[in-house]
Amino acid sequence: MSVLNFQHMSTKTFLRTFAFASIFFLSSPMEVTSAEKMTLGFVITNWSTAMYETLFMDECSGGPTPGNYEIWEASVTPEVRRSYPVLLFSQLRHINNRGRNGLNVCDHPTSFDDPSLEIIEGKYAYGANLDGNKHGRATSTSCEHKNFTGLNGEEGIDNQMYRLMGCVEAWKSYGHIENNANSHRLSSGLGMILIEVTDVENERNDESVSVSFFRGIGSYNLDSTGNPLPYASYGIDHENGRARYGDTVMGKIVNGVLTTKSADVHLPFFGNYQYMNQLFRDMQLELELSDDGEPMTGLITGYYGVDQFYSYVRGMLSTFPNRHKFSCPAIYVAAHQLADGHPDPETGECTTLSSAFNIQAISAFINHPDYD
Amino acid sequence: MACFSLTLQKLVCFGFLFLAWLGLSACGPAEPKTDAPAPDMRRLTEDQYRNIIADVFGTQITVSGRFDPLVRTEGLLAVAAWNTSVSSTGIMQYEEIAQSIATQVLSKENRETYALCSGVSYTAFDESCARKFLAKVGRVLLRRPLTKDELTARITIARDSANTLGKFYAGLSFGLISLLVDPEFLFITDFTESDPARSNAIRLTAFSKAARLSFLLWNTTPDDKLLRAAESGELHSRDGLNREVNRLMASTRLKTGLRAFISDMLNFDEFDSLEKDSIIYPAFGAAVVRDAREQTLRTITDHLVTRNGDYRDLFTTKKTFMSRPLGMVYRVRVKAPDNVWESYEFAPDDPRIGIQGHLSFLALNAHPGRSSPTLRGKGIRSMLLCQKIPDPPADVDFSGFNNPESLGKTARERLLAHATNSACIGCHRIMDPIGLALENYDGAGQFRGVENDAEINSSGELDGIAFSDSTGLGQALHDNPAIPTCLVNRLYAYASGRTFTAKSDWLTYLNKVFADGGYRVTDLLKRIATSTTFYAVSSPHNLDQTFESASNIIHFD
Repeated sequence: MSVLNFQHMSTKTFLRTFAFASIFFLSSPMEVTSAEKMTLGFVITNWSTAMYETLFMDECSGGPTPGNYEIWEASVTPEVRRSYPVLLFSQLRHINNRGRNGLNVCDHPTSFDDPSLEIIEGKYAYGANLDGNKHGRATSTSCEHKNFTGLNGEEGIDNQMYRLMGCVEAWKSYGHIENNANSHRLSSGLGMILIEVTDVENERNDESVSVSFFRGIGSYNLDSTGNPLPYASYGIDHENGRARYGDTVMGKIVNGVLTTKSADVHLPFFGNYQYMNQLFRDMQLELELSDDGEPMTGLITGYYGVDQFYSYVRGMLSTFPNRHKFSCPAIYVAAHQLADGHPDPETGECTTLSSAFNIQAISAFINHPDYD
Repeated sequence: MACFSLTLQKLVCFGFLFLAWLGLSACGPAEPKTDAPAPDMRRLTEDQYRNIIADVFGTQITVSGRFDPLVRTEGLLAVAAWNTSVSSTGIMQYEEIAQSIATQVLSKENRETYALCSGVSYTAFDESCARKFLAKVGRVLLRRPLTKDELTARITIARDSANTLGKFYAGLSFGLISLLVDPEFLFITDFTESDPARSNAIRLTAFSKAARLSFLLWNTTPDDKLLRAAESGELHSRDGLNREVNRLMASTRLKTGLRAFISDMLNFDEFDSLEKDSIIYPAFGAAVVRDAREQTLRTITDHLVTRNGDYRDLFTTKKTFMSRPLGMVYRVRVKAPDNVWESYEFAPDDPRIGIQGHLSFLALNAHPGRSSPTLRGKGIRSMLLCQKIPDPPADVDFSGFNNPESLGKTARERLLAHATNSACIGCHRIMDPIGLALENYDGAGQFRGVENDAEINSSGELDGIAFSDSTGLGQALHDNPAIPTCLVNRLYAYASGRTFTAKSDWLTYLNKVFADGGYRVTDLLKRIATSTTFYAVSSPHNLDQTFESASNIIHFD
C-alpha cells in the first residue's frame, strides 16, 4: 500500500504520517528572502576633545588656566625676567627645567608645586552617561565626581576630561593642540581611523550591524583647499595578514544615526609629533550618517587612561607648555584627582577619565588586503 | 571506369575552381582607383616632436618650450598640420627648444653616450667624431641619410662654432641644432621619384613611404629597421611593405600610434585647458584630469588592440580601467595603490556605459560648474558621427538658461526655451535630445539622480531612435551606421591629411572592408597601411621634385 494512498490509509497511519511531515517541515529553516547586505565605510577626518564653550568662558570661573611661562614669570624677580628678552628655545628649555634640582617639570610633574589647574565649573557638557547613574557617587566601578547636564537636558553626563582640560586654552576649539594634531593627521595620513560597518540591510534603520575600527594607510585625498574628499579608497594597516587594529563592536542604525554598544576599543593616534596606541575603555560611538558624500558629525565617548593622557601631554615639544599655555604639573595632579573610572584594584584610585571627543567623518571605501 | 574517371576529373576541376574562388574572396574587394593627390608636407605635431626626441635621445632629455598651436580642421589637428606653416615666433621657439636639447645631449653627463666617441679632446675639433655623430642623428632626424654636401655643411657649422668657442662639444651642439631646426625635420615632406613601373608617373621615395607608415602606426620617426628597409628598396615591394607593416603592428608601440589618433579624434587637447569649479566639484583636481584622459585611452586601446574588439562596442562596454583619483569621482572602490591602474567593470545595473559615460567625455563636454546636454550632444554629433553643427547666432541670449531659478529645476526644463525659439530650434533639436540622456552625470561626470531636488528624466532620441536612459543611448550609438563610417573618415584623414566626400569610392571601399572585418580597427589600419592609395601621389603642375641621386647618399653602419 502506498503511504500516499490516503483513501486506504488507516487513521492511525495517517496521523503518524501527518505528524512526521509536520515535524520535518516545521524544523526546516524557513526560506527567508534576505535583503542584500551592505558594507559602509568611513574615514575620520577631524578629532577633537568635545568642549562646551561659551562666548566669555563662563564655564571657567577663574579664567583660563596659566601656562608654564606665566607660572615661571610669577616666580622670578623682574631682573631675572628681563634677562630673558626673547623666548628662545634654549631659554624655554630652561624654563621647563624649573622643577626641584633643575628637573624638567613635564618629565617629573611632582617636582614642582604649580598652582592648581583651573577646571570647569560649568553645568553643561557633551558626552554620555558612562557609569549609568546620575548621582556621581563612588561605586565599585567608578570614583566620586560631579556629573554634567547634556545640551539636550540629559542628566548624569560623565566627562571629567572636559572638566580637566576645558579651561586650558590650547585645547579649546580655537587652541593650538587639537587643530595642530588634525593638521598633522591630514597632511601625513598618520593616525588615520577607518570605520567599517558591515551586515547593513538598511542604511536608515538596522537593528544589528557590526562596526570595526582600523588604522588606515596612505594619505588622505584632499581637495584644493585641503579638505578631505569622500569616496576615496584606503587600505588597512596589517601585518602578516592580520589587521594591526580591527576591534569589532555591535551597533545599530536608528533614523540614520549609527550607535555602538559599550566596549573596549583600540584606536591609533597621531598628532603633535606623537604616535600613540590609544585604548578607550567602554567606548561608544554615535555618528549621524549622511548620503551624497557630505561630512558627518559624531561623538566618541568612553574612559581614557590618565597615564595614557599624561604621556601625550608630556611628549609634546618642549616649547609647547610655554607657547600654548599649559602646565604639566597642574595637569598631572588634576588628572589624577579628577579620574572617575576603572579604580585600581590595589589602591582604589581611579585610573581613567570619562571623556567625549567630537569627530567628523566622510564616506570611504576600505580595502582589506588579499590574505594568502 | 571511364565514366568514373570523367566524374573524378570534373570533381577535381570543380575543387580547384572552388579553392580559387575562396582565395579570391578572402582577399576582399579590390582597391578602387582614386585620384592621387600632389605631394605635400605637414608640420610635426608637438606629440610627434616629443616622441622623436625621446626615441633618438631617450626620455631623460627634456623638451621644454612652446609650440605653435594647430587649429583643428575637419575635426582633426592632424589635418591642420598639412595646412599649417610656422610663424616667425614659432621658428624662434623651435630654435630655443633645439638649443635646450643640444645642451642636454652634449652635456658632460650625456655626451659620451650619444657622441659615441672616446678619448676626444674637449677643445680641439675632432672631425671624425663630428662626422660619426652628425651622420647618425641626421639620418634619424631627417628620416633619410644625409647627402655628402649636407653632412659637410653640418660639419662646417660645428667646426666653425668649436673654433670660436674653443670647445669641441659646444661646437658640435650647433651642428645638432642645425638639424633640429631643419625644415626637413620640422616638416614631414613627400619626396618623390620617377615610378619605374609607370611611365610619366611619380611615386613617393622609400624614405617618404617609411615616414608615412611610421607616423601613422607609431606616431614617430621611422626606426632603424624601417630606414634600412627603405634604403634597400624593400618598401617598394608588396612583400617588403607587408613585412614592415606587420612588424610595426605587432609592436606595443601600435598603441602609442592609436592613442595619438584617438586623442585627436576626441579633442583630448582640450584637457590642457580643462578647469572645473573647485567649489562645486572639489574632487575634480589635476590628478583626475590626468587620469580621466588616460582611462579612456587605455579603455580604447585595450578594446581595439589587445582584445581586437568591434569598434562599435566601445559605446556599450562596461569594461574600463580605474585609478584611485578616478575612484573618488566615480564613487567606486579601487584596490590598486596610488599611480597604479586596475581593470574595472561597471555592474550590469550601473547606468554608466560606453566611453560616452567616461569622465573624459562628460567633463570635456560640459561647463566649469554644470553639465551641458547641448555640448554633449554636439560632441557626439561632431566627434563620433562626423556631423557639422553650425555655431550659434551672434546675438543669442543665454540668460534664461543660465539662471536655474528662472525657468526650471532641471536642464531639460531650461532647454525648453530653445524649442520655442525659431533661431535655436534647428540646431538644438539635433543636439539636445542626445545630451539629455547623459543628464544623470553632472559637469564633472559624477552620477546624480536629481538636480535641484527634481528627479532627472534621462530619456532622449538619436536619429529617430528613442531611448529612456544612457544605456539606450549607448545602444543607439552602437547601431548608428554613422559611427563606423565616421571612424573610417577620420582615420584616413588623420593618416593622409585628405578628406573625402561620403560618396567617394575609396571611402566606400574602406567602409566595406571595415564592416566585413567585423569593425576591427587594427584590420582597417593594416588595410590602409598596405594600400596603394595611401602612398599614391601625382605630378604637381610644373614642379620637379626628383630626389638626389644615390651616389650622393652617405651610408652609416
